[in-house]
Amino acid sequence: MTTYVDVDVRPTLRAGGEPFGEIMQAVNALKPGEGLRLFATFKPVPLFQVLGSKGYSHEARELDGGEWEVLFSPAQASSADEPSPAVAPAPARGEWPAPVQQLDNRDLDPPEPMVRTLAATEAMTDGEVLSALLCREPVFLLPELAKRGHAWRGGFEPDGTTYKILIRIGAARDAAT
Amino acid sequence: MPGVALSRWTMSYFAAALAWLVAAEALMAAGFGYPAAPFEAPETLVLVHIITIGWLSLLMCGALFQFVPVLVARPLYSDRLPLPTLACLLGGLIALLAGFLRMTTETGASGAPFAIASILLGAGFALALWNLGRTLWAARPLPLPARFVVVGLFSLAATVLLGIVFSLTLGGLATAAHAIEVTTHGLPIHVVAGLAGWLTFSAVGVSYRLLAMFMLAPELDGPGTRGAFYLGTAALAIAIPGGVAAICASGNVAVSLVAASLPGLAAAGLYGRDVVHLYRARKRRVIELNSRMAGVALAGLGATVATGIALLAAGAFVRHLGVVVFLVAFAWLSTLGLAKLYKIVAFVTWLECYGPVLGKTTTPRVQDLVVEGRAGKWFVLFSTAVWCGAGALAIDRPFIFRLSAAAMLIATLGIAVHLLRTRRLANVAPTLRIPKGVQPPHLLVCRAQHP
Repeated sequence: MTTYVDVDVRPTLRAGGEPFGEIMQAVNALKPGEGLRLFATFKPVPLFQVLGSKGYSHEARELDGGEWEVLFSPAQASSADEPSPAVAPAPARGEWPAPVQQLDNRDLDPPEPMVRTLAATEAMTDGEVLSALLCREPVFLLPELAKRGHAWRGGFEPDGTTYKILIRIGAARDAAT
Repeated sequence: MPGVALSRWTMSYFAAALAWLVAAEALMAAGFGYPAAPFEAPETLVLVHIITIGWLSLLMCGALFQFVPVLVARPLYSDRLPLPTLACLLGGLIALLAGFLRMTTETGASGAPFAIASILLGAGFALALWNLGRTLWAARPLPLPARFVVVGLFSLAATVLLGIVFSLTLGGLATAAHAIEVTTHGLPIHVVAGLAGWLTFSAVGVSYRLLAMFMLAPELDGPGTRGAFYLGTAALAIAIPGGVAAICASGNVAVSLVAASLPGLAAAGLYGRDVVHLYRARKRRVIELNSRMAGVALAGLGATVATGIALLAAGAFVRHLGVVVFLVAFAWLSTLGLAKLYKIVAFVTWLECYGPVLGKTTTPRVQDLVVEGRAGKWFVLFSTAVWCGAGALAIDRPFIFRLSAAAMLIATLGIAVHLLRTRRLANVAPTLRIPKGVQPPHLLVCRAQHP
């Protein structure tokens, strides 16, 4: 089991401060095999890439009142803890290229957002990234993306109502082979 | 964050539930049970449990196996357990009905079937609670709609426990003083826990999410919605554990039920306000048949509450209890259930068949799987027949009640044929029906959507 060091940046954020330094200081102080449990007032999407490049995978969970708890786990520990890598989001290694296509599916009747998103992915080539805005977490889309070998990263925007998903074509397929 | 797969056995639950609904309506049309027999007669108990366990509980379990994962955005704990769960529930229900029917014979020896019913229904509902409970436990902290479902599941546990105490006592297997007291005075608690706690509270929780989803309305979790949750939970706590405590202490359950009715009515009022807000704030101007009929069901709930208050004020509540229970079961829960079935069957079938090829080839829309105009007539007939039946009960006209039940039966069969056609893709244009790579769906089992 990974042990986690707790870092709560909610007081800093509420006071209007910038918690990045505080977080990186805690990350640099982690011992091998230790993870970080971060509490924030919004989903800290930018951090996922920064810590991903340092070899940490993340698991974000919304708390009451739009606050978030994110577990950053060292890569090896995380792959041992999670038995279903085929359906997990892509390992957060490295940077993804900028999206080549952006969809705003927020005002479409369900399941139209899923139809449009999948249609767009079929027209793209491996390695390209699609960005889509949705009005809820696309619970039925995710298994279909996994089945087609695409990787994704997603989460609610700070407004708490828009869900933004980035889909990288074929990236889960590449990771599996 | 692996998303949510289609629930493998949900269609089997829906098919079994509809079969029991048809059976119940046929029995009512044939004059079996209330109002021809007294409210507490074994025949009425047969009818009531066919409706509440066979139809409503199987429908709710099947729906929760699919929608609890949607509420919490996590997969169901086990996609295999629902099948043995269903087998236990069906076997247990049949044993329970056999026990009630034995009570009408001369010997009245109903111990064995009641014991079997207690074991099988206890095991079946325990499996359902375990599966849904593990799913919810893994998803803490829970969004508000899922918390309603949690309270609904606690109420289900209370309903089943009380039912087991009743059947073991009636079967002569339990003789403890408190078991006899609870059996003598506890029926109202069993009814409240089942209809208000388990079925209504769970339906309310799921409705918050489904109404917002299908009408493109904002998700609600403001003070009013929280108020509905806390007041409703308080009402159930006063009525169920409070009621049992009151019986054991004083042998009188009325005080706790009256005390529970105040927060209960306040919760219903807040829920009603939320529902009106959801319909008004929707972005989708033209709504589908399922949302229109859900509106009729929600109006039915409001009218049922109003009827109950009016009967209380007139001092006629106990005499017309049958009318209120009938309205809760049919004007509210069954109308909502049939409306949502119409959408869920179409959506699940569409996703199962066409999900794998979306974007790769031309596929039908969900709405191409249904013909709302024709199905709508059966829904109108059903609702009209339900209110005629309630009226007939209120003015004591058993023959008109039987005619109304026959009309409900015909309407249900009409809706069932539409559901069957949807599942068989019979409404989809033949050129679009089975594109390359699509397998036609099995009637009762959903193919797993796992990669």
